[in-house]
Amino acid sequence: MKNIVINEWKGLFRNRLFLVLVCIFTIALLLTTYLGILQNNTQILAQKEAQEHIREQWDSMDPTNPHRAAHFGSYAFKPTNLLNSLDEGINAVTGNVLRLEGHTQNDVMFSEASQSLLISKFGKLKPSLLFQFIIPLFLIFLSFNSYIAERESGRLKLLLVQGASLKKIVFSKVFSIWIIGLLLLISTTFVQLIFNTYDLSFDAIFRLILFVCSYGCYYLTLITLTVLLSLIFKNATGALSLSIVIWVMWTVFLPKIIGNTVEKISPFPTRVEFQNAMDVDRSKGIDGHNPSGDRKKELEEKTLAKYQVNSVSELPVNFSGILMQADEEYGNDVWDKHFGSLYKQLQIQKRNYQLSGFFNPFASVQSLSMGTAGTDMFHHLDFLKQAENYRRFFIKKLNDEYAFGGSKTGDRSWKADTKFFQSVKDFSYTFPVFLSFLSKYILDILFLFIWSVCLLFWLKYSSEKTIFL
Amino acid sequence: MRELHVFSYEFKHFLKTPAKVITYLFFMFACAYSIYNGFDLQNKQKQTIQNIEIENKNKVLKVLTWFEEGKSGPESKSWVDISNPYWSLNYIPTYMLKHPSSLLPLGVGQAEQYGYYKEITNWSSTYDNDMVEELSNPERLVNGNIDFSFLVIFLLPVLLIILTYNIKGLEDDFKFDKLITIQFGAIKKWIFIRFLFYVFLLIFTVVFFIITVSVINNSLVTDFSQVKSLILLSSLYIIFFATIFYFIAVYSCGSSAIAFKMISAWLLLCVLIPGSVHQFASMKYPVNYMTDYLDVNRKEAYEVFELSTDSLYYRLVEIYPALNETVHGQEDEIDNRIIRNTVCAVINEMNKNVIKDIEQQNEAKNQLIFSSYWVNPVSFVQNKWNSYTFTDYYSYKRYRSNVQKIIDKKIELLSVECWGRRKVNRSIYQQYLQEFNYDM
Repeated sequence: MKNIVINEWKGLFRNRLFLVLVCIFTIALLLTTYLGILQNNTQILAQKEAQEHIREQWDSMDPTNPHRAAHFGSYAFKPTNLLNSLDEGINAVTGNVLRLEGHTQNDVMFSEASQSLLISKFGKLKPSLLFQFIIPLFLIFLSFNSYIAERESGRLKLLLVQGASLKKIVFSKVFSIWIIGLLLLISTTFVQLIFNTYDLSFDAIFRLILFVCSYGCYYLTLITLTVLLSLIFKNATGALSLSIVIWVMWTVFLPKIIGNTVEKISPFPTRVEFQNAMDVDRSKGIDGHNPSGDRKKELEEKTLAKYQVNSVSELPVNFSGILMQADEEYGNDVWDKHFGSLYKQLQIQKRNYQLSGFFNPFASVQSLSMGTAGTDMFHHLDFLKQAENYRRFFIKKLNDEYAFGGSKTGDRSWKADTKFFQSVKDFSYTFPVFLSFLSKYILDILFLFIWSVCLLFWLKYSSEKTIFL
Repeated sequence: MRELHVFSYEFKHFLKTPAKVITYLFFMFACAYSIYNGFDLQNKQKQTIQNIEIENKNKVLKVLTWFEEGKSGPESKSWVDISNPYWSLNYIPTYMLKHPSSLLPLGVGQAEQYGYYKEITNWSSTYDNDMVEELSNPERLVNGNIDFSFLVIFLLPVLLIILTYNIKGLEDDFKFDKLITIQFGAIKKWIFIRFLFYVFLLIFTVVFFIITVSVINNSLVTDFSQVKSLILLSSLYIIFFATIFYFIAVYSCGSSAIAFKMISAWLLLCVLIPGSVHQFASMKYPVNYMTDYLDVNRKEAYEVFELSTDSLYYRLVEIYPALNETVHGQEDEIDNRIIRNTVCAVINEMNKNVIKDIEQQNEAKNQLIFSSYWVNPVSFVQNKWNSYTFTDYYSYKRYRSNVQKIIDKKIELLSVECWGRRKVNRSIYQQYLQEFNYDM
């Protein structure tokens, strides 16, 4: 088998067209990876500058009322991860800026896709684009030709007469081409490692390994399938057509159809319906600016009892601040209820999409590619969650200062000093460790594994059953 | 005569090749499905808009009842006085709506990247939080929608490959290409006629769907020139790809080589070149975090709120010189309440200035995209198509511009009426309603 693999490579490297194509792919991959890293670094810098700019304004704020500062608010800028240069994932369509302020939980805004005309339906020329669209096609043609050429030239008969089994021949062909795909993958990862040595963590290396393994499994599936089809079909053109049709279905057609269907199975409310439902729930609570109703009375009584006084004016603290915080906490519950169910729905949709990996391994590799690069929906939701947690901390800190910082009820002109505002820590996004997310990708890993193993077994079975001579 | 014979033979050949017929029918089914999706989106947008309009009318009717009953506003909000223009204008639900085009089922374009309804308040701007897209699954947005334009622009060339890759390729494979030369003469002409059949078939298919949607949505009357342009664009696009594939078929040998080259051409034109341009554009114009806009809405807005009433008075008069002629404009003392109620006009002006810069930055990126059309024809066709179905960037830019016009109108009316110390009654309120196109 080793001899056949070596012989196969010798044959390939003698082919000028193959050499040219491999060179083109290698250069294209290295170049796109490098350019991707450059673009990524520019984006990281821009994001850092924006965050610093906003923080600078906060730190230099003159003494002011903390509630006014809560309305002044802050911003969270979606950070760009080092591995984003491999696969951009959903970053272009989601917003990048989130306003954090009192009373309101905002949407993330200013997506890249909304800032210009449409350029590419398949995304930027990142390594993932080459890995998902170009290299698979190259591997299909390579593996198709590899077996068919042997058969049509009559060399296959010669090899079989010399004692080699058909099983050994086809497996040698599969592995020799698969190794070429792996080499292209590893060289890209190598470039990624070289240019990012300054910030490489164990997590990043683990992500890269999984990235390579998932594409490796996918390529093995594609190559095995193509060789299998060329073994089963006596008609070479038929085998090739079917391979291409399957590839188009997997990469272009099914992801859209399934994505659409998944969203139709559990449709979202319109933004206006969603907002109205939240407003209705919110109105049942305490309006910080319009303190009335039972909840407010209840809170007032509780506070008076706690401080053992008869009226809010006697309180040693500012009741308005306590009221604002109670309003916030009620708003947080409303947010948890509505956004919680929305995020749950998004996760259900994602799981349903992942299930399509059962008949479309491309869905699994795409999901793992975005996941390992940290640019999929799970990572986006994690950013939103961390930003919301920070907003809660931020507003509570301001409300607590208003309530317990030294002012009394009705003292609207009271101001906290600049030092206090500087002491409020800034938003800092902690990129999740992949292992903590691993369970979310089990389906993808499983399906890719099953596809490659099943096809290898099928190929083994077919090659044993095929009577050639 | 021989040409006609080859043409009709190709038709028979097509009918007798199950793989080709199935692929073609599959494409037809996908087109029907994509159009159904388009109609679904269109109906959803129409329904949402209708709901907003109904709700707004109900809100207006409620205010009219307050006038009739002599109430000053909702019972729970004692501070509201609808006889004051500030409150009566506040109680006119103002929305700017982008009604879906009748051709939306033929191309969703960038429609899912933007919002299509916007509530206008005194503090609104065209880059507000509620200008973002509808709630949707971002991973679905990345994969895109199966819409008709996608099928024509990206999948139709693949269908053409499946239909034509063995024209001459098969003859090469079986080594009877010489026979064709003997029987027909010029092999290039023979390939050309066979290609012609598929070009006609695909043009007919695409035109059939365009006309069907146009008839259903009455677009032949409302958007005739767009329908005409879509037909022309799609036909030229099919011819463009057919020409490339024709030359590949003529100058290549064997169906495998032809298929490989055709698919490579498709990848190059539909995936690689647009992807490269996209990457280049992103490097030249990275994602805009719009910090200037954020500054205006936060730091600079708060600086304005800190300004003295006198300064604000003069800034307002500078924006609307006509305020000098109003009742308050003629008074000796400045009314702090009126100034504070109309300070939104100052913020609006600041927003407009900064948004102009943002739009210019976006335009610079678009200019780069335009200049790439010579090497990136697929993006050209895609954006042209979207412009015909009113779902491209510029359609939404026009929508943003209309939003700004309504904001300006609302704020100017608010300023003039507040400074005019108008006492609002039912009939004046109805005049306001007419200003915002309410038919009550």
